[in-house]
Amino acid sequence: MSNAVVANDINSDAIPASKLSEDWLAVWIGLLIFVLALVSIAGPNLLGWVVTTSVWTGLGSALGSTSASYAKLGGVGALLATYIALLAVLSVGAAALKIDVKRFALAFTAAFAIAYASWIIGNYANFAAVTPADFKKFGISWSLRLTNEGGFIFALVAGLIVGNFFPRFAQWLKEAIRPELYIKIAIVILGAFIAVTVAGKLSLAGSVLLRGIAAIIEAYLIYWSVVYFVARKWFGFSREWAAPLASGISICGVAAAIATGGAIRSRPSVPVLVSSLVVIFAVVEVLILPFLAQTFLSHEPLVAAAWIGLAVKTDGAAVAAGGITEALILAKNAGEGIQYQPGWILGTTAAVKVFIDLFIGVWAFILAYIWTNHINVQKGAEKARVGEIWQRFPKFIIGFVLTFALAFYAASTATPETLVKITPAIGTANTFRVIFFILTFFSIGVLSNVRVLWREGLGKLVAVYLVSLFGFVIWVGLLVSWIFFSGVKPPLLN
Amino acid sequence: MSEQDLRGELNNASIEPLLPIEKKLIGWSLSLGITLLLGLLIINRFYPIVL
Repeated sequence: MSNAVVANDINSDAIPASKLSEDWLAVWIGLLIFVLALVSIAGPNLLGWVVTTSVWTGLGSALGSTSASYAKLGGVGALLATYIALLAVLSVGAAALKIDVKRFALAFTAAFAIAYASWIIGNYANFAAVTPADFKKFGISWSLRLTNEGGFIFALVAGLIVGNFFPRFAQWLKEAIRPELYIKIAIVILGAFIAVTVAGKLSLAGSVLLRGIAAIIEAYLIYWSVVYFVARKWFGFSREWAAPLASGISICGVAAAIATGGAIRSRPSVPVLVSSLVVIFAVVEVLILPFLAQTFLSHEPLVAAAWIGLAVKTDGAAVAAGGITEALILAKNAGEGIQYQPGWILGTTAAVKVFIDLFIGVWAFILAYIWTNHINVQKGAEKARVGEIWQRFPKFIIGFVLTFALAFYAASTATPETLVKITPAIGTANTFRVIFFILTFFSIGVLSNVRVLWREGLGKLVAVYLVSLFGFVIWVGLLVSWIFFSGVKPPLLN
Repeated sequence: MSEQDLRGELNNASIEPLLPIEKKLIGWSLSLGITLLLGLLIINRFYPIVL
């Protein structure tokens, strides 16, 4: 697969062909799912048919509907209903983005089938079962103990196989390979899930958020300046290359590299090439860091969560890696008899990432100001505009804040009778979040052309990335996460 | 410009020395970042996370 697929994805984000951007589309789809899920509090369960997967040994017991009221559908029926609903909604979205709807629908069908099949395989008991009780329940003597979230890894590997061994097929799939869109929808839905998780524990949630500020400082002021210096001074990169590279490694991957490329008026191919590396290294991180976190940080769950948010680049990979980390750490602690409430690890990773994302526009404006006024001073050339801050602001964060605020208000002010209905309603929406995570993992895999790593001429780019990421970013991220989050534990399950 | 050209350019580009404004950007960013982190550390010390 060439970088064309990456470029296509990136360009669709940077220069929308329609008035609606992927960011706004993510907000609308996320809000639609959130609102439909909330209807069940006062009326019928409109989304209870969405498919959910359990750990299995017999395929017949793997799938089911989220709500018992749709049990008649059966597992396959629920899967079909979910596929048709997603196809319909996303096809409308594709039309709004001025994408060829027929090609999108065909590609989405194939992508969904492979991604969800991978997820089902990942839920096989010998891969996913964790506790002795699970072993007994499924009659098995061994398991990789990946938890059911290990299915994300299977989806990622399936994507990597498609992207690297079947380039023509990957090219055919490209209309549906939209990791940024999928993860942004998931993050909008995640806002509501986090809100319900933290409601009633406002003090802890506030403390965690306050410490999220450390992530902003670290990413923009410390990481960026060090990586820029390393790229310029040690590796001799030009300014045009060093700035997008520093943003890609330091801030939030693809979006930051593209925003920086635009800010310093670099040639479009420069951030595209940088982005292809960002995606590959994000995959490497997703495959390694959650397991390291489980091994070494299982007794410091929020240190692990913040570290993943700081170390893994690109929103999709980071938030999804937070999901895997949560599952692995909760499982390990459960084995030791400690039952932490789910949601806190994933919520902390997502909060760190969202905090960092908030300032992409501001940072791009600062760079644009410096470049147009001090570095590339050209008479008559367009100067940096304050409007660029809003233009580059990741709009899906508005959706995240909205669902968080609404769900938090609902959960905080509800009577005990209503609260009992809110939690499963948001849980249903959260099932969609899991499905969008699966699609994100698969898409990231398809976009990761590992051959880029040993292409002649890219050695210097790979080297600066390796040195910065594994020699600096990961360790400083761990240190800062440790300083601010050590000793803080998620609440225990009642 | 093709990817091939870009890769060639990466290997053969002449060194651009750091301009004073770049040194300023790096220096100010690092100093401000470390100062703000220290500030947060103090806040963290006096207002620990409440469980």
